[in-house]
Amino acid sequence: MPLFEWCQWLQHTRFATAITESDWLFPLIEGSHILALPISVGMILIADLRLLGLAFNGEASGKIVPRFLQLSRIGFPVMFLTGGLLLITQAGKAYGNPFFRTKLIFLVVAAINAAVYQKLLYPKMAEWDSASGAPAGARFCAAFSLALWIGVIVCGRTMAYQF
Amino acid sequence: MALLPLLQSVSEWAPIVLIRDSKYGMPAVQSFHLLGLTMLLATVVVLDLRLADLGMKDYGLPSLARQLEPWTIGAIVVVISSGLLIFLATPGKYLDSRPFRLKMALLASALLFHFAVLRRFTTPDSVVRPRLINAIVAFLSVTLWFGVGWAGRAIAFIP
Repeated sequence: MPLFEWCQWLQHTRFATAITESDWLFPLIEGSHILALPISVGMILIADLRLLGLAFNGEASGKIVPRFLQLSRIGFPVMFLTGGLLLITQAGKAYGNPFFRTKLIFLVVAAINAAVYQKLLYPKMAEWDSASGAPAGARFCAAFSLALWIGVIVCGRTMAYQF
Repeated sequence: MALLPLLQSVSEWAPIVLIRDSKYGMPAVQSFHLLGLTMLLATVVVLDLRLADLGMKDYGLPSLARQLEPWTIGAIVVVISSGLLIFLATPGKYLDSRPFRLKMALLASALLFHFAVLRRFTTPDSVVRPRLINAIVAFLSVTLWFGVGWAGRAIAFIP
């Protein structure tokens, strides 16, 4: 079955329509998706700002950046769970939406960026603090991450205007 | 009341009309509102976790508070200015909305609480207080700010 028809089917399953037709379930899921932003994306943004030397310059980045990344792990499960549920209820409408597609691409690129950071730069973080701040590679990853997550939020908000 | 005609004339002002009627005007302003919310509540959560002794324990509270403050205040400026634009573009949508009124009441309370109460708990010379008191203040702070967010979401669903 082609993807679009599968999305249509998904949106019209009994599970999806039960969420859509409930007076409180859809608002609850959508509200949770938005209000988990600060405890997921927000923590990543603060970590990125630290790496760029724009916030928390009084603290060693090797120590404080992992703290913010840890805190983001509270919010991201909520984000993915509620985002998945929202997608199920609107799969047919989301399929062709250019902002939804861009959001997905940004999310994938942000995940790759985070994996690169984790693999190549994270193990050396302790060394930076004795030197003068994060190396160029880490700053690039942080700036890229900042731009991608801002893009995810902008696309997520804008896609809803086209439903 | 004289407020309504005034608001209506402001909502017909050219820059406001441009935001309301252009294809990406409202999504852009709403995106700023959401980015501001993300940053504002993130800084509040970090500060309150520390105050309640639930996270960031090896960092001094006054030093965390001092370094978070410019980002909290910057985010407040972003949410309020974008929120004002959203309100002025479509005042009719908000004036009679009960969740909107609740949101404004919670916003005023959250701002007052943040700058009049919470701040006293995070200054360098603040006396050592019982952990329970700190935890209650942190809980109230988080509840008020997230309450503003939930009331905001409710505008779309409840008249």
